[in-house]
Amino acid sequence: MRREGSPFTGVGTVALKEAADHMTSARMHLIMLLVLLTAIGSVYGAIDRIRDTTAEDPHLFLKLFTVAREPLPSFAAFLGFLLPLVAIALGFDAINGEFNRRTLSRLLAQPIYRDAVLFGKFLGGLLVIAIALLTLWLMMVGLGIMFLGLPPSAADIVRGVAWLAVTLAYAGVWLALAIAFSTVVRSPATSALAALSVWLVLTVFWSMIAPLVAGIIAPIDPFDPMSIVNRFEWQQLIARFSPQTLYGEVTGLLLDPQARSVGPVFAHQLRGAVVGAPLPTTQSLLIVWPQIVSLVAAMLILFTLTYVVFQRQEVRA
Amino acid sequence: MPARYGQDRSSVFLLTVFVMIRENMMRTITRTLMAAALGATLLAPPASAQESGAQTAELSGFWLTTSWPEMTIKPGENHSVSLSLRNQNLPPQRASIEVTGVPEGWEWSLKGGGREVTAAIVSPDSSERLTLDLTPPEDAETDRKYPIEVRARTDSGTVSLPLVVRLSETEPVTSGLSVEPELPALRGSARSTFSFKIRVKNEGAEDGLFNLAAKVPNGFHTRFKKGYGSEEITSVPISAGSTETVTLEVIPSRSVSAGQYEAGFEVSGEGLTGTADLKLDVTGEPQVAIIGPQERLSGEAVAGRETSFTFTLANSGSAPAQDIELSASQPTGWNVEFEPKEIAQIAPNSASEVNVKITPSEQAITGDYMVTVRAQNDNISESAQFRVTVKTSTVWGAAGLAIIAAAALILGGAVMRYGRR
Repeated sequence: MRREGSPFTGVGTVALKEAADHMTSARMHLIMLLVLLTAIGSVYGAIDRIRDTTAEDPHLFLKLFTVAREPLPSFAAFLGFLLPLVAIALGFDAINGEFNRRTLSRLLAQPIYRDAVLFGKFLGGLLVIAIALLTLWLMMVGLGIMFLGLPPSAADIVRGVAWLAVTLAYAGVWLALAIAFSTVVRSPATSALAALSVWLVLTVFWSMIAPLVAGIIAPIDPFDPMSIVNRFEWQQLIARFSPQTLYGEVTGLLLDPQARSVGPVFAHQLRGAVVGAPLPTTQSLLIVWPQIVSLVAAMLILFTLTYVVFQRQEVRA
Repeated sequence: MPARYGQDRSSVFLLTVFVMIRENMMRTITRTLMAAALGATLLAPPASAQESGAQTAELSGFWLTTSWPEMTIKPGENHSVSLSLRNQNLPPQRASIEVTGVPEGWEWSLKGGGREVTAAIVSPDSSERLTLDLTPPEDAETDRKYPIEVRARTDSGTVSLPLVVRLSETEPVTSGLSVEPELPALRGSARSTFSFKIRVKNEGAEDGLFNLAAKVPNGFHTRFKKGYGSEEITSVPISAGSTETVTLEVIPSRSVSAGQYEAGFEVSGEGLTGTADLKLDVTGEPQVAIIGPQERLSGEAVAGRETSFTFTLANSGSAPAQDIELSASQPTGWNVEFEPKEIAQIAPNSASEVNVKITPSEQAITGDYMVTVRAQNDNISESAQFRVTVKTSTVWGAAGLAIIAAAALILGGAVMRYGRR
């Protein structure tokens, strides 16, 4: 039976309410405190390191995000590792939480469609992450200017903003995954565990699984050097199933203007090349464009699946 | 210990003093002995004394001389006559000097040691030089002899020196400086240095410092060197009667066109002048420069796709450049083609355009590469480094957008199918 009006009526209201709930929740406060502390630690380490070693770098500002001092990883690596955690924390009980509190039917008694609830929950979560990211990013820039005493160039700002947008898409993938689990699995604890196990597998164990699987698919023939290249390409392909790998490649290219390629580079390709010459920002973006597209598409498709499943669910529990 | 040491020191001192006194005594004794010996020689037989006296008597005396007692000079010009007073084997002689016979209206002065003098004392066995400056007036009667007499009066007598001065309007024929280039005509390109070796002989009576000058066409540079030396000089001292070799280096301006050029060399000083005419035969030379598109040496290209750049070959030399062959060295897998591949001729001060088609390798990764473009023929070889920025094809960017659009469409389709529940 068709109903009248736009399915998106009330999305904004739901999204803002959701965002406000997240902003005031203790869960969000705790996890943001964790992220903030680690971020400050890594930036402090990076600034110390930059002062010591790279005094003359045309892209000193971008180094803030990528340089690390030993026990701590760099800011970009931290985000790649911890952002999924933030997204999962925001999304693992988005739908099944409402079920368990028996508030979904009360919510749908309002003049809004089910579409608006799901869209609103996703957008609300994304909005909270966006605000948190922007705050972190501005804090980084501010600390950098304060401690290094040099303003970033326009090109650096453009690269930084592009990277911020990709980071948001990366967080969106994990948020969509968490909401998908919360839709499919009825128990919030189970959905949280499921999302966390996917996160663990894809961020921690995937780098071990990828060479293993690649070795089975394309074994190395000691008499054929090309088989090494072949195996490496397989390994890279499998590794790219993890959003973290994609995000890492985007980070590498966007935050390092001198990087030219994400894949293997052969010596003959470098003959006659001017090594160390920075690429234009658009060229860096074009090189990692497939990765960016993959992240955005993965987010959209995960959300679409969730949407289809949610729309077909029985909500009158 | 210190006490004994001191004693030793004082005893050594005493010993030294004693030795010194003894030596002095010895010296005095020796001197006395020698004086006695000399006295003995003076008292020797008179025969030998007379013999030595006869030898010196031959040349003893007091003279007033000059090298050239008769001369021709020009009216209105200052002329110096150098005089010499010679005292041979006589006690110091005081001589008052008088000049007589200088015509009315002539300016004259007698100088010794830079001042006007009227007397001189000549010590034994030496000479004093004097200079008689004569300046006849402009309107003095020419082609006539003027006798002038210089007298030196001493206690024992008078020596006189008669001079004859002839006035003539015409310049004396001898210049006093002979200039002789070793090779008066040289040939070379506009880039070469023309080195003329020139022998300059001072035929005048006096040593002098001579200034060097050269007259060359505009834009040419000159420098002087002495012989095979490396120092640049502006003047050269040449003593009377001797020869110096001077090197004149002429550097033509780079932009000079081929042809014959004249250069003048002049040495002057001490009232003497010598000149020499030199010839430079400058042969033409092409000078080709490679100019990139819009005078830039960088461009953009896409991997695997041909891009054409218009290069300009400009000849700024003085001769046409012929049969120029174009070549390039490029990264592996790249293809560089020229159109035309050879240029038959570029006239001086003109240019020729060449299309350079650069195709980066299919596998070229994004970034900057260097391609060297070379133009060469038998005598020129020019190269330019061209920086090619390889860009990623935007086709994949569009494909990526299409994928995102497809994902969004699927979401839209899902909303259409399942929406509004």
